[in-house]
Amino acid sequence: MSLFGMVRFAVKSLTGKARMLKPGDVAPDFNTTDHTGQPVRLRDLRGKKVVLWFYPKADTPG
Amino acid sequence: MVGVSFDTPAENAAFAKKFNFPFPLVSDTDRKLGMSYGACDSPKDEYARRIAYVIDENGKILQAHPKVDARAYPREQLASL
Repeated sequence: MSLFGMVRFAVKSLTGKARMLKPGDVAPDFNTTDHTGQPVRLRDLRGKKVVLWFYPKADTPG
Repeated sequence: MVGVSFDTPAENAAFAKKFNFPFPLVSDTDRKLGMSYGACDSPKDEYARRIAYVIDENGKILQAHPKVDARAYPREQLASL
């Protein structure tokens, strides 16, 4: 890790601000359940392009 | 396409039904996904940020969208897939 990287890591640790992933980063695997009770695992979606869309609250404007 | 929020499966089921979303909405109630993808700062955060990612066929981030329009985004992305 470069000095800049270490400083950035330290600042991030202090502020607790999460940083977005960047293009080229490995997408962290997840294993969760959808609204119909079906399991959704990122690893199972390999071979397909996946859009991961975060939204604040179901059925709210904006 | 996969939608993610901190809502319960029941809330998401109502949301999916209302808008006829043809993709799964997953419940990240423990914020694990939100934390690992930078959609929230703490497991105690109430809401996820309006962000999105396009993940390629090999599981790597292809595009990172730091701000998306919650109404238009699903439609735009489905059209582009």
